[in-house]
Amino acid sequence: MRPANPWWRLVTVALVLLIGAGLYWATIKVNYQWRWDRVPDYLLMTGGEEVLAPMDGTVAVQGKQITLTPLLGGEPQRFPQIDVVQVSDGEIVFANNTLGKKAGITPGPLLVGLWVTLKISALSLVFALVLGLIAGLGRVSANPAARDMAAIYVELIRGTPLLVQMFIVYFFLGTVLDLSGFVAGVAALSVFTGAYVAEIVRSGIEGVSKGQMEAARSLGMSHWQAMRHVVLPQALKRSLPALAGQSINLVKDSSLVSIMALTDLTKAGREIVASTFSPFEVWFTVALMYLLLTGALSIYVRKLEKKMAHD
Amino acid sequence: MTRNMSPDAEVLIDAREVSKRYPNGTQALTNVSLQVRRGEVVCIVGPSGSGKSTLLRTINAMETISSGEVVMDGISVHAPKTDLNEVRTHAGMVFQQFNLFPHKTALENVMLAPVQVLKVPAEEARARAEKLLAKVGLADKAGNRPSQLSGGQQQRVAIARALAMQPRVMLFDEPTSALDPEKVGEVLEVMRQLALDGMTMVVVTHEMAFARAVANRVVFMEGGELVYQDAPEAFFGNAQHERLRSFLGQVLPH
Repeated sequence: MRPANPWWRLVTVALVLLIGAGLYWATIKVNYQWRWDRVPDYLLMTGGEEVLAPMDGTVAVQGKQITLTPLLGGEPQRFPQIDVVQVSDGEIVFANNTLGKKAGITPGPLLVGLWVTLKISALSLVFALVLGLIAGLGRVSANPAARDMAAIYVELIRGTPLLVQMFIVYFFLGTVLDLSGFVAGVAALSVFTGAYVAEIVRSGIEGVSKGQMEAARSLGMSHWQAMRHVVLPQALKRSLPALAGQSINLVKDSSLVSIMALTDLTKAGREIVASTFSPFEVWFTVALMYLLLTGALSIYVRKLEKKMAHD
Repeated sequence: MTRNMSPDAEVLIDAREVSKRYPNGTQALTNVSLQVRRGEVVCIVGPSGSGKSTLLRTINAMETISSGEVVMDGISVHAPKTDLNEVRTHAGMVFQQFNLFPHKTALENVMLAPVQVLKVPAEEARARAEKLLAKVGLADKAGNRPSQLSGGQQQRVAIARALAMQPRVMLFDEPTSALDPEKVGEVLEVMRQLALDGMTMVVVTHEMAFARAVANRVVFMEGGELVYQDAPEAFFGNAQHERLRSFLGQVLPH
């Protein structure tokens, strides 16, 4: 094949710039006020962390320490190390009033949201892989009951929207079993992703030549021994690219947990937009943060693939 | 070099009136009876689709049967209560496509089953595997993956892997059919050595020279039936049997 003309790259750059200019022109037309200077504050707060009063009470200030005596009686609460005190001695405050601020840099709402997204995704991935492996083995099992159960699971999950599954887990299971939003979110994402992992594992197993199982069985190995030592290692290696794609999907799908009173990256974005009316900057920033997560994942997987190709 | 078999050696494999019909109605085997004595080398020849591989694979229950019985060392292989995993440890099998485990080295291929099935300690299994690889002439390839070995080398590793279970019988399913012509000799040489060591062997093959030189008995199958069996000299010298003559006329050089 002839090498492509390098000038095509310039065409790409020109097209991207053109699209960008078009978007910019469109925002000017709707009189949008860009305020990119505010965005760093959503990532890192230099103003320090606010300390709020947990209940109504009377304040006593001694230097940097605030003591709050509840109005309704009970033990007084101490708040040491308040760098900027914003109440005066003897003042009566109500719950959620600001007592003061602690100095230093604290993570902003978007970084806190990113951390929640990361935690949910990582936990869900572990559970989804375990669940998917079990269900995938069930799909190729000789036992009809295991085969049927795995098929029902996969079809049920793949045939319904994730958002609806989230509602069911959160509002139905969450209420019946008294689950927190975090647990419900991880459960819904694991079960959803597990069904796709099961299909990946199944096709990986089916892609291993039948002669491998035969050779292992002819040596006296049980079905499970042959699966574990001969078929699965080959199947999983073969499935790695598809599993990587699925884990990237998982990170993106995790944005739906924002319906569960869970402040993940998406929900953090929504909260900021609601209070600042700068939706464009916030959503672009949030998108970029997801892109960093998924990009890092795909770079890691590409490295892993290269390493395994050498083995 | 054919070894003289004492005719009263004990029967190790006894296939009695074995038939196999597939659910779609195809008849793969029809009333096949075959006895193999301890220490005997039996070669099964015949046109493709004659049922010779199927018959071989019923001996270690890699294929089910519809009727009849296969008895190995006093155990009815296809009886419902038979522990197939146990039966298969006594019958080593070598496949046309080698079927080595590609994610393991030659040494690991040979060690795997003894460690996992027979619970042999890893060090002992390793020593035994090294000895077996040396026996098939591949001591220097122990650390190689199958993809780094030629077809002939892979098949020799596969033979070592089967031998590692210390089987009572070795079953060869067209062991040289997938090999480049120049690699056939090295595999047949290993098999010839194995026969000299006294191993009981059942070999499905197209290598008539090997059958003539090494087998104690040659079996001719056609259309799922065992048509004729005899000692090699008689087998290859028989001009009377119509179907055998026609088959040999096609496969032997003129």
